[in-house]
Amino acid sequence: MRAIPTLKISISGVRGVIGESLTPTLLTRFAQAFGTYVGSATIVIGHDPRTSGEMVKQAVIAGLLSSGCHVIDIGMCPVPTVQLLVRNHRAHGGIAITASHNPAEWNALKFIGADGLFLDSGRAREMLDIYHQGEYTKVAGVEMRRVEEISGATDLHIQKILEVLGPLPQRKEPLRVVLDACNGAGSLVGPKLLAALGAEVIPINSTPNGLFPRPAEPLAENLGDLCTAVKEHRADIGFAQDMDADRLAIVSEEGIPIGEDYTLVLATLYVLGKKLGPVVANLSSTSLLHEVANRFNCPLFLTKIGEVNVTEKMQQEDAVIGGEGNGGVIYPQINFARDSLVGMALILHLLAETGQTISELVNGFPRFSMIKEKLACPSDKIPVVLRMVRREYANYPQDLRDGVKVNLSNGWFLVRGSNTEPIIRVLAEAEFEAEAREIMGGVYSRVQDCLTDTTRVAST
Amino acid sequence: MRGIIGETFTPEVAVGFSQAFGTYLDGGRILVCRDTRASGPMVRAAVIAGLLAAGCEVIDLGVSPTPSLQLAVKWLKADGGIAITAGHNPSQWNALKFVRGDGLYLNPPQAEELLDIFHQGEFAKATWAQIKPAIQHQDSIQHHIELLTGAFDIEVIKNRRPKVAVDCCNGACSQLVPRWLRDIGCEVLTINDSVDAAFPHPPEPKPDTMAQLSAVVKAGNADIGFAHDADGERLGIVTELGQPLSEELTFALATRIRLEQRTGTLVTNVSTTGAIEQIAAVYGGAVVRTQVGQAYISESMIELNGVLGGEGSGGVTVPEVHSTHDSAAAVGLILEGLARSGKTVSEIVKQLPRLTMLKHNLPVAPNRLYSVLQNFRLAMEQERLTYDLTDGIRVMLPEGWIHVRASNTESMIRVIVEAEEARSAQKLLDWVRDRLNK
Repeated sequence: MRAIPTLKISISGVRGVIGESLTPTLLTRFAQAFGTYVGSATIVIGHDPRTSGEMVKQAVIAGLLSSGCHVIDIGMCPVPTVQLLVRNHRAHGGIAITASHNPAEWNALKFIGADGLFLDSGRAREMLDIYHQGEYTKVAGVEMRRVEEISGATDLHIQKILEVLGPLPQRKEPLRVVLDACNGAGSLVGPKLLAALGAEVIPINSTPNGLFPRPAEPLAENLGDLCTAVKEHRADIGFAQDMDADRLAIVSEEGIPIGEDYTLVLATLYVLGKKLGPVVANLSSTSLLHEVANRFNCPLFLTKIGEVNVTEKMQQEDAVIGGEGNGGVIYPQINFARDSLVGMALILHLLAETGQTISELVNGFPRFSMIKEKLACPSDKIPVVLRMVRREYANYPQDLRDGVKVNLSNGWFLVRGSNTEPIIRVLAEAEFEAEAREIMGGVYSRVQDCLTDTTRVAST
Repeated sequence: MRGIIGETFTPEVAVGFSQAFGTYLDGGRILVCRDTRASGPMVRAAVIAGLLAAGCEVIDLGVSPTPSLQLAVKWLKADGGIAITAGHNPSQWNALKFVRGDGLYLNPPQAEELLDIFHQGEFAKATWAQIKPAIQHQDSIQHHIELLTGAFDIEVIKNRRPKVAVDCCNGACSQLVPRWLRDIGCEVLTINDSVDAAFPHPPEPKPDTMAQLSAVVKAGNADIGFAHDADGERLGIVTELGQPLSEELTFALATRIRLEQRTGTLVTNVSTTGAIEQIAAVYGGAVVRTQVGQAYISESMIELNGVLGGEGSGGVTVPEVHSTHDSAAAVGLILEGLARSGKTVSEIVKQLPRLTMLKHNLPVAPNRLYSVLQNFRLAMEQERLTYDLTDGIRVMLPEGWIHVRASNTESMIRVIVEAEEARSAQKLLDWVRDRLNK
């Protein structure tokens, strides 16, 4: 089998492996293309703690200055902080330097518009066109603008959360929280926020050194340390963030990961309890979200996967809450971004105000079982796989907005190519685990066969 | 590596050369400094990105004269350095100067090796586990000041308490020279010492850029005025009478002062004034002429244990500080010499040989450069003149000397002639042009 390419240039930005494809020249060109696209204006930049963060940042600064931009460097911080600062400083754009949940050897640029939202596919394509044409704005030396370094961006973020949600209501014993920041961008700001809310914090994996203590995705199988710590400290809840602090997963007071799709479910439960309104999520979100929205008689809109698709729909529908099933909570009163800090504040308020435990809250819902799998897949094979799935399941209702989502009588599954890695993702959900496994088993083996077949054909 | 920002000098070029340099040095610790040009932060970011990507450890010296970086290379045990400065070029230019582990510039063969790596484009690439996650910061100026203070007889200068006017052209010397001169007891009148402001005039210390300094010397009754280029290599001088001296006289004055202290070998290039030989003949000392290029002077200074190096552009190398041009070191040498002699600068300048130098640039198509020079050499042979081929063609004639060479940077032939009298200099130039145009 041939090597899977390590560079991914897409509407999600540019992602690659340090020491291989993600070179400083490529990065500085993308920054020039973005600087040209926004018209030589003010740009906010921030980065996560990956070891390559400084190199990538310097390459980006060179490209932005060369194209006439004024750069506001807010240093190491969560991605949602960059998004918040773009709006707060009335900047014309932002670049977040992070490969979110990708392993340590990866890094990436994510491009943010003046509204603090990631560039949508149309705008991202315009920017990519400029990149490929290679005709960038270049200002003369004497007209070059400066880099302004701003500290305290994360304090502003915390302050904004407190302004909107307020501290937790007084209790006899403060809520005890274990926070696993994955040594990521949330390492320093998370504990500060939780303390400011009035919780007692036990931080683990909170040294932002770019060394991953566990795989960055806050999936159940990666949260062993957190589960142990929650039990050991008799905590009320455990929170796990990813490297750039946009996603959030929860461990119950019993030390059990409840599944990252529950993060948005619980946040929605809290928000709709305060204010009714539309809910927006992507089409891979759990059916449980329907249950919650139905309980409050609120509409639920499902969009293509990708934060910007959700945020744009939220703006159109004037949604009160939204997000993604992978633990991304978007609460528009604070930030039009997936924001694990906001997610923690909402869920702690839910705990404090209901007086219930996480397990009690989870048990209040019917149990759905979601299984997530991924297979290595070169990007040119993705359409082949998707065509196969459409053909094989032609007798069932299909949603083709993003990959192929097939609704079966007892559940659903989704097959789609990742925008960020050379993999294909398969999700299956049903009310009972056995059914979910059966659905997953059927589709997974078909995808696997399809990939082996096409590789065999390609090599003959 | 030099270019105009917004045109040829793009961030990609700066990134690529820095990756090539990091590859050439096989990683290691690299120092970075810049002068005060507005494009400095952009180039700095590109350079740091390229160095980090190649696996280097980067120490940023911020705004700093190039000689301060060269001294810091040894002090901080670095493997090399990149100075981001176009020296005396106008503000729209910028450049990278590559410094080796011994604090000297890459010599031309080494620079060619670097260029080969750049063109091949196969750079060392650090993996995520090797790449340095942060850069360090260090102040190189204080260290430079300490070495300068140790290199001269400060007591002699202090006792004289000279009044010195300084024009730093808002360049990198702004943070070095006025501070050091105050430290060693001078009364300092400073102009253009703001590192955040634009160049008030071209950063090339020549009589036509020293009008402002001359006015300050006169108004403030200063004993001498010093003008620096953007990165602290070249020095221009204004006498106590307010007279700006030709940049050719900086090295001549320094030579005269040095030879009064001690004699030995003087190192200069083939296109610098013949006044150096005349001074050496009076005060004792041997003159060695190298090819044009600072690396040649530095290497000969070390090899021959020279007592002073320099060139007609105003660059002076004082070996007590280091073997590279350093305008602050030249200031130290001259102030100490003035203090010892008790004379004014114009008194000493009056005693220097008075020669007339004329320079002429002849544009020539790139494909004809070689044949034009060869034909000129043949003409010299036919006239049975002896010539020196160290760099281009240099011919000694009874009334003076001529030097003809291809420019390193543009498609032209540079002609320099020098004679005692203005009229004979003009005659020499006409004589050369006549033979070049054949």
